[in-house]
Amino acid sequence: MRGQSALEEMIEKLLADPQHKDHALRDALNLLWESHNDLLVRIERITRVSDGYQSIARERELSLSARFDKQLRQLEKVARISDRYQQMMRDLNIALKEASTHDALTGIGNRRLLMERLRDEADRAKRYERPLSVVMLDIDRFKAINDDFGHEIGDRVLIEIARVMEAEVREQDLCGRWGGEEFLILMPETDVTTAAQVMERVRASIGTLAVRVNNDLLSVTVSVGVAALHADENYSSTINRADVALLSAKRSGRNRVEVDA
Amino acid sequence: MTNFSIPGSQSSPSIQSDWDKGILSMQGDSYPENSYELFRQVFEWIERFLAEAGRPLTLELRLLYLNTSSIKAMMDIFDLLEAAHGEGKQVAVNWHYDRRNERVVELAEEFKEDCSFPFAILSHD
Repeated sequence: MRGQSALEEMIEKLLADPQHKDHALRDALNLLWESHNDLLVRIERITRVSDGYQSIARERELSLSARFDKQLRQLEKVARISDRYQQMMRDLNIALKEASTHDALTGIGNRRLLMERLRDEADRAKRYERPLSVVMLDIDRFKAINDDFGHEIGDRVLIEIARVMEAEVREQDLCGRWGGEEFLILMPETDVTTAAQVMERVRASIGTLAVRVNNDLLSVTVSVGVAALHADENYSSTINRADVALLSAKRSGRNRVEVDA
Repeated sequence: MTNFSIPGSQSSPSIQSDWDKGILSMQGDSYPENSYELFRQVFEWIERFLAEAGRPLTLELRLLYLNTSSIKAMMDIFDLLEAAHGEGKQVAVNWHYDRRNERVVELAEEFKEDCSFPFAILSHD
């Protein structure tokens, strides 16, 4: 509440003074004085309400800003954690992709990877009119190895052969396990003659392998069929012709490389 | 308060609540389509437990993958626990992870960062 001004004091004194009691202007001044006081009360009330609203608005602004900051921090954290989960999924995907395209026993490519690469390489070979050779390699009398020495030895033979094959083929060649004791080697930019030479080397190298079984050394041989992709055929026909060449290698006494002309 | 049990699926965790023991458990992957709906029940149960039970509450978590909205939901739940902890209530989280997936540890650590209540990250086989 503000103090009285000098003017207000003077008016109050004049109104209270009995000597002006019958003055012609006294009633009018009295009415004006009352109306002035009413207005003062009103203004004070309006100011109070208005201040109240302002402080509510101010408090709301402060709490909104605190909430906004909190939400922002939370959002940043959610994004950070989410990114890490996504990275984890991505790495898992890569590991799964590796597992789905590689043979669990030998670690070399599996049939799925071979099919993918065969499709791509066959397309490329045809488009650029380049040679492409497909090789089928089968371990001779593998069933006998399994029967005589057990599956564990059979598995070791498979691993050893995969290792030798990988070491003997060239960098651009892809070896994979086609199934059971059968392997497929994909040789881009290679005609049958060169492919047969490389495979002769692989065959000879596998022939010198000796897998130790207790006190014995177990030797294995492989038969190989080679075929080149023809411009007018599907790659599955090439696989079939490599298979036919493999069969003919088996029939001619095994441990040899046959080429499908 | 009735307990609830939500069976898990390939994309949502299985969730069980035990009012008497004061335990809420969640297991599995969480990338549900309706994650707000799914976690609302969990959130409401925890809210009521904290308000009414007057006993310690423990969350037993075996969560693997969480999508973004599930991460948000978990953070809201931890905020709720943090507030209860601030009021002197006994709350705890046990985050279990498979020894073969060590990366879950780093993620659990991220969640733990802002929590001052007991938050254990435990390995299992």
